[in-house]
Amino acid sequence: MTFVDYLYQLFVSFWGTVAFGILFHVPPKQYVACGLTGAAGWLVYVAMMQAQPSTVMASLVAVLPLTALARLFATRRKAPITLFLLCGIFPLVPGAGIYYTAYYFITGQTTQTMIKGTETIKIAGALALGMVLVLGMPSKLFQPFHKAQEPTK
Amino acid sequence: MQKKRSVLELAVQAGEILLENGAEVFRVQQTMEIMAAAYGAEEFHVYVLTNGIFASMAEDGVNHVARLENVPQASVHLGRIDSVNTLSRKIAQGNVPMEEAFEELERIRMIPVLSLPLQMLACGAGSAFFALLFGGKWPDFFCAFVAGLLLQVYLWNADKHKTNKIITRLVGAALVTAVAGVCMLLGVGNDMDKIIIGSIMPLVPGIALTMAIRDFFNSDYLSGTIRMIDALIIGLSIATGVGAVLGFASMVLGVQL
Repeated sequence: MTFVDYLYQLFVSFWGTVAFGILFHVPPKQYVACGLTGAAGWLVYVAMMQAQPSTVMASLVAVLPLTALARLFATRRKAPITLFLLCGIFPLVPGAGIYYTAYYFITGQTTQTMIKGTETIKIAGALALGMVLVLGMPSKLFQPFHKAQEPTK
Repeated sequence: MQKKRSVLELAVQAGEILLENGAEVFRVQQTMEIMAAAYGAEEFHVYVLTNGIFASMAEDGVNHVARLENVPQASVHLGRIDSVNTLSRKIAQGNVPMEEAFEELERIRMIPVLSLPLQMLACGAGSAFFALLFGGKWPDFFCAFVAGLLLQVYLWNADKHKTNKIITRLVGAALVTAVAGVCMLLGVGNDMDKIIIGSIMPLVPGIALTMAIRDFFNSDYLSGTIRMIDALIIGLSIATGVGAVLGFASMVLGVQL
């Protein structure tokens, strides 16, 4: 992938995430932060997919910086982490997996159904695992540097 | 002793707003405890589930119990969660009179949802960008945009008539699949899969899944399980909706989409 391709992916994932942020009534001043969270996760996902073929692995690796960024934004901007996490995770959610599973199921391709179904569940599991890993890190790592304050929620 | 009953009332109201608008159990519980502590409540205990809050507080050694069950959240409003969060920060720092806090909560409850045209635009744009993201081309972008617009109109009406959630997702998925199919038959679309995947994104249980994980992480296993099952059922209903239309098209109409 060229640099321009990455820029394109950044642009599209940013606006896709912002659109969902608007739909979930995120306060307007947090739109950019939401978009950046989603774009960061997606760019890492795309880069991982270039390096190796496993969507599960790519999802797991991509959700790490995504969650870290969401935590950082939450602490810095004094907003619930839910805002950034919910919107940011959208590009990685296995919507395509759900669709293909249904498609193969309906068209009677049982083997394909099993493959896609299992993959979808694995991706969901990978997202869960990655999120838990980062959420479990000590909150000190995500404190702003300039002043001490009450712990993040 | 009027004051102490108000503390309980305040905490429960704040918790209710959070829960209704899609906050995770841990946040609801923590916020309520912070508020109660800030106003000097004694023996304040609270237990929160995805669809209910149970709180109690001692008053002159007598236990007063407030129980509250609310409807499973209809729509996610992260702005309201953010506002309650800000309020609880202020309360924790002190200097917020109880009356003011009640007024603020009332104001938060009244924060409007976006107008239908704006929601349609957001839903359409979200669908369209995700169609691109998953490898669609510009024709798919426009088809998914149209599908997203129509989907939001349906979701808006379904919400207004309090339609069953499973039916809503199923019909919504069927609707966007039909739109995608029509686009393909008209020769407008480029790749039907991408259009469908893009425009089912507003229905996909991303929120339920994320919240389930958050709840599990905070050891709220019961609430996490409820949300996980929620995610599973939403996923199944979307799959059924998509499948029903595809099956109908190929079996009854004889169109291979």
